[in-house]
Amino acid sequence: MMQSAMKTDWFGPFIVSVAAIIIVGLLKPSFLTPFNIQILLLAISVNALVAFAQMVIIGIGQMNLSVGAIGGLAAISFAGMMEVWGLPWPIASVLALMIGLLAGVLNGVLVALTGVSAFVITLATLSVFKGINLGITEAQPFYEIPETVKWIGNASVFGTVPLLFIPFAVTTVVLWYFLFRLPLGRTILAVGGNTHAAELSGISVPQAEIVAHAISGLLAALAGIMLVARLELGQPSIGDDWLILSFAAPVIGGAVLTGGRVSVAGTCFGVVIIAIITQVLVLFNIDPFLVQVVLGLLILWAVGVNRLREIRGQRQVAGGPA
Amino acid sequence: MTGFTFQARGVTKTFPGVVALDQVNLSLMPGSVHALLGENGAGKSTLIKIMTGVHRHDAGTMDIDGAPFSPHSTREAIAAGVGVVHQERNLIPQFSIAENIFLETLSADPFKPIDYPKLYRDAQEWLDLLEIDADPSAKVEDLTVAKMQLVEIAKALALNSRILMLDEPTASLTQHETERLFGIVGRLRADGVSLVFVSHKLEEVQEICDQVTVLRDGRNACESQPLAGLGRQDIVRLMIGRTEQIPTWDQRDCRDRDVALELRQVTTNAGHQDVSLNLHQGEVLGLYGLVGSGRTELAKAIIGADKIISGAVLVDGSERSISSVAEALHENRIGYVSEDRKSEGLILMHSVLENAGITVWRRLQNAIWAFTDRAVEKTVSPVIKKLEVRTPSLQQTTGNLSGGNQQKISVAKWLAANVKILIVDEPTVGVDIKTKAYVHELIRELADAGTSVLLITSDMPEMVTVADRILVMDEFQIRGEVINDRDYDRVSHEIMKHIHGASEVAAE
Repeated sequence: MMQSAMKTDWFGPFIVSVAAIIIVGLLKPSFLTPFNIQILLLAISVNALVAFAQMVIIGIGQMNLSVGAIGGLAAISFAGMMEVWGLPWPIASVLALMIGLLAGVLNGVLVALTGVSAFVITLATLSVFKGINLGITEAQPFYEIPETVKWIGNASVFGTVPLLFIPFAVTTVVLWYFLFRLPLGRTILAVGGNTHAAELSGISVPQAEIVAHAISGLLAALAGIMLVARLELGQPSIGDDWLILSFAAPVIGGAVLTGGRVSVAGTCFGVVIIAIITQVLVLFNIDPFLVQVVLGLLILWAVGVNRLREIRGQRQVAGGPA
Repeated sequence: MTGFTFQARGVTKTFPGVVALDQVNLSLMPGSVHALLGENGAGKSTLIKIMTGVHRHDAGTMDIDGAPFSPHSTREAIAAGVGVVHQERNLIPQFSIAENIFLETLSADPFKPIDYPKLYRDAQEWLDLLEIDADPSAKVEDLTVAKMQLVEIAKALALNSRILMLDEPTASLTQHETERLFGIVGRLRADGVSLVFVSHKLEEVQEICDQVTVLRDGRNACESQPLAGLGRQDIVRLMIGRTEQIPTWDQRDCRDRDVALELRQVTTNAGHQDVSLNLHQGEVLGLYGLVGSGRTELAKAIIGADKIISGAVLVDGSERSISSVAEALHENRIGYVSEDRKSEGLILMHSVLENAGITVWRRLQNAIWAFTDRAVEKTVSPVIKKLEVRTPSLQQTTGNLSGGNQQKISVAKWLAANVKILIVDEPTVGVDIKTKAYVHELIRELADAGTSVLLITSDMPEMVTVADRILVMDEFQIRGEVINDRDYDRVSHEIMKHIHGASEVAAE
């Protein structure tokens, strides 16, 4: 049991997370106060969805640069629909999710139809979505957020667990089920692993691409909506700083950037590690701008570890009874 | 006798858990062609990698003209005059021929502007020498496969290689191109170059090589022997440790059975014009042709991966329009085993279970559109067992298995899907003799069990061994039909006659 756990992608990040919690907890007991844990869980809940939005696209062997722009657009749409049109929040949130989904579908359709790399397509749509965002908001936040939404964003259950943890937990389970149990989800990873082989095995590559991007958009929108609730503000800049995080967490979690291999649990622990590092910098009064530097270094480290694993794998193949 | 150009004594290389080379000796003489033979995994590639500085040996010595030779990098090996033409192409497609030939020298001084007129002139000399008809400024991606191969040789020679290793150089060449390559090899030999020739095609080895070294399980089965005294059977015995058993199967005739797959005057996007054929139930229909004759393209059109412009495809007598591989598989039970298992057949990073099960996921999904690993396992494992895939578990990463076992998995995924029609494209390219015989038996068993097989191959002995009836394809046309009565000489002659036309063969 233990041995098979050690071989999984999530085991490394899991150990690092646990070790980090223990070490930081010993050095700074305030780290483990209920209040701090709640803040930590809140950050994890939102960031994990951002990471998942990218993870799905990494799984199919592509990149989605517009994750943040979709999240931002969904966020201001959510806030705007409530403030300007006076829509009740459940309807506004569903519509905002639909906007995210549509944005994702647009990405997917463009990628599937043109054959242009997702990197370029999403670079372009990033600009489009962000432009629409700024056009609507004129760079001013929507302030009129209903009390219920504010409450949802900051309430907790069982003492320290934020309410927003629930959508994260549900998404995690559903996403795992989708990627590893549903043929449609397996299809995405198969396309990421080897597009040609997948296609010649009867898998529709365009379908997989569109579905992956649609899910990515949906998850980004959900993260954006949750952030509006948490910030109690329809901030146009929501999503601007997601990009690095969205790549860092899946990669720390063992994802291979060329596709075919991602880990839902690994990505979660990747998010946990990033959240702890961010917190530590605050707790120890270190310049928060260092977070960016540390995140960058973390990506390099994670990619390096993955690469090492890959090389070792190849050596074994080369050396094995070929 | 003059001294050896290259000597390896007691070269040993261990990888974690495996002794890849165990006390291997190899002596190359100037002006000779040396065959390096062995089954897959016997250690040929490892030896080449050590000679070219990719790997370091753990023990033993190597020297060139008496000077110790122990390259730490490919650069060092090149400097010592060891060049290699790899099986996988090592050219930059977007660069010109000239740039590719002189790539190593170009990169030597990063700030010196490239003198293109001179570069093209120098490249032209090499092209002339090898009689390559191409413009040195042409991009490599626009060349034919054969020309790319020759450019690779020019590149190796331009580096002043005195030892030139050719790793399966004829795998993707037509017969005519192979002959030209051999002409060049002969000239290089006359110029005093030591050539090492790695190939699975023993006919070619016997045609062109002077000495032979055979590796088996990482050891010398024979060392630098003159090839003259050895027959094909002797070589095979050295390679596999026993005599080769070529099965002589009975002639089968399935033409009176129902037609499983019929093409009626099919014209494709790829360039086929009015191609018609009938594949009967339980028949092994061979589709012979050289590389580039349109066989793979026809297969891809049948399975919906490529477009059919006009004509009809009939499965079990009723007309179908197959526009995707999914339709071919799920609605028509047609499967396609790709010739290129690494890039088209398998997802090497995924497990055996996932590769073999990829075709059945859709079928196995339950009420909530999900499937369980158990269900996939239940479908897949009997097939894996039947094909005797040697894997520690179904969770094993497919890329870690041997080539033969990988090939079995790319067949297994279609058997798991229970296909009625199986198109098998070059199933034994780069596969060793043992596995090859096994694949042949497997095809025969499938056909006996009622599966209709369309076998694409350019391996004549394979065709004569396995197929019941043979169609000959050339330039995207079916040129003729040969009933296979297992008489190799007659059948192969007939086939070549259909390709070259009657006059040419008569003139020979």
